[in-house]
Amino acid sequence: MRREFLAIALLLALLEPASAQASETELKPFGRGSWQELMKAHSGRPTIVHFWGVTCGPCKVELPQLGAFMKDHPGIDMVTISADFVPDLPAATRAMLERSGLAPAENWIFDGFADRLRFEIDPTWQGDIPRTLLITREGEMTTIEGSAEIADLEQWTVRQLAARK
Amino acid sequence: MQMFRTTLIAAAALLVGQGGALAQMQHQHGSEAACDGPELRCASKVTAVFASDGTLWLAWMAGGKISVASSRDAGKSFSPPVAATPERLNLDWGPDARPKIAIDRKGRIALAFSIFKDKAFNGQVLFARSDDGGKSFAAARPITDSYESQRFEAIAFDNNGEVFAAWLDKRNRVPVQQAGSKYEGAALFFASSKDGGASYSDARMAIDNTCECCRLGLAFDPQNRPVVVFRNIFEGGVRDHAVITFADPATAGEPRRVSIDDWQIAACPHHGPSLAIAANGIYHVSWFTNGKARKGLFYASSRDGGKSFSAPSAIGDPKRSPSRPYLLAGPHGLVMAWKEFDGEKTTVKLMTSADDGQSWTEPRAIAETSDTSDHPLLVTDGRRTYLSWMTKVDGYRFIPIGDQS
Repeated sequence: MRREFLAIALLLALLEPASAQASETELKPFGRGSWQELMKAHSGRPTIVHFWGVTCGPCKVELPQLGAFMKDHPGIDMVTISADFVPDLPAATRAMLERSGLAPAENWIFDGFADRLRFEIDPTWQGDIPRTLLITREGEMTTIEGSAEIADLEQWTVRQLAARK
Repeated sequence: MQMFRTTLIAAAALLVGQGGALAQMQHQHGSEAACDGPELRCASKVTAVFASDGTLWLAWMAGGKISVASSRDAGKSFSPPVAATPERLNLDWGPDARPKIAIDRKGRIALAFSIFKDKAFNGQVLFARSDDGGKSFAAARPITDSYESQRFEAIAFDNNGEVFAAWLDKRNRVPVQQAGSKYEGAALFFASSKDGGASYSDARMAIDNTCECCRLGLAFDPQNRPVVVFRNIFEGGVRDHAVITFADPATAGEPRRVSIDDWQIAACPHHGPSLAIAANGIYHVSWFTNGKARKGLFYASSRDGGKSFSAPSAIGDPKRSPSRPYLLAGPHGLVMAWKEFDGEKTTVKLMTSADDGQSWTEPRAIAETSDTSDHPLLVTDGRRTYLSWMTKVDGYRFIPIGDQS
């Protein structure tokens, strides 16, 4: 009996790191107050916040472009927030972020009453995704509705990095 | 050693079992439903319709199933639910998705709904029907042979007992992409059933390159012609609304623009329109836009069969993100319901018009909830009008909205 128990323990020990590794990408639950927390954490740093969702067609096209953009521009904080109306698919969310090269970004997923979470971010936002916010060091915010043009992000980034000098 | 191997298998089975349970929990984590079972109180989406004999029928999605129940006392009590889909399905949970239910004069029930058929969230529209008064449903079948993504179906019986079905369909994407071009959105497809929803005709296309993620509005004009309002993609990626009046269930008419809102957006608005056609033939449309020309909820009407529309009028309190409009041409006039959100509570607002939408009563609140809720719907039994509204924390609400409506 003890041997049996030991075997289970051994198996658990063997399997646990593997399963942890499979879902390495951290996905922070985005709840009430998370927006203020996020704004505070990135205050004084040029930041791109990208809202998306696993069922959104245009998001599937844009996400890998953002992954490549992040790799090329380490001076910009990249934050993604899965803002689907039904935020119940963390596995699919992780898989899509990983495939798009966005695993190293700061990744969040809506957790709770989506209308209220959106209202905290922007009371006029009805939930259309993708949506990208460009936030300067001074906190000035530009909202891009729909898929962002990478050229626009490049131009904005050049201005942000130049402003630092 | 034998013992050890058995133990390993048992332990592995245990882990797999736990994994399954964990996946279920994660599925529910932050869910829009109150619980995970197939019962009504666990539903995320509920659709209501009155049969001609005054029986109220509900179709809902909960626990991965579509279930149906009826009420003889206007929603006070319901018959035991019947699972129209016995197995657990990956039902389309998109914000504008919902099961559709339609009933003809003979009491035949047609259902339609979408599932996600793969990990890429490609959809498939399925239909099922009951010819024994909702006691049982035939196995659900695809509405079209195409295997490309379909979602956002709408169905209704016309006056002849024929079912008209329309949906958004991505079958044109592959050939366009293979030709090296970019495919925008989806296409509006349609079919009809002459046998009460037991089988459907071959699918036909009404228009290509519509928006791909918003519900359709479907109604019949007084000549029994189907009319569909939808979010189109106009020149330059502008996702404004259009209406198509069909010559008959097999022949689409020309698309006509409802309004020039100029909402150029490469995104999923997840926010479709509503259409009601009054007995006098006037089309009433309400919709959401965030265009350059206007932002918010709007209403317009057409007195020439959808050829031209009145100037859009704004609906609701712009500070409270009015959303999810629903129009009904009821026995006492036109009724409109929508949601507003004040940062804490969602309220269903309602107003009525006795002069075909030229003037409206002051909006009044008829229900509220403090967590996730379905879109508000309006239904009538021909005498009274009711709000049908599923909420996560307050359950299913079926509320008579007053005789003046």
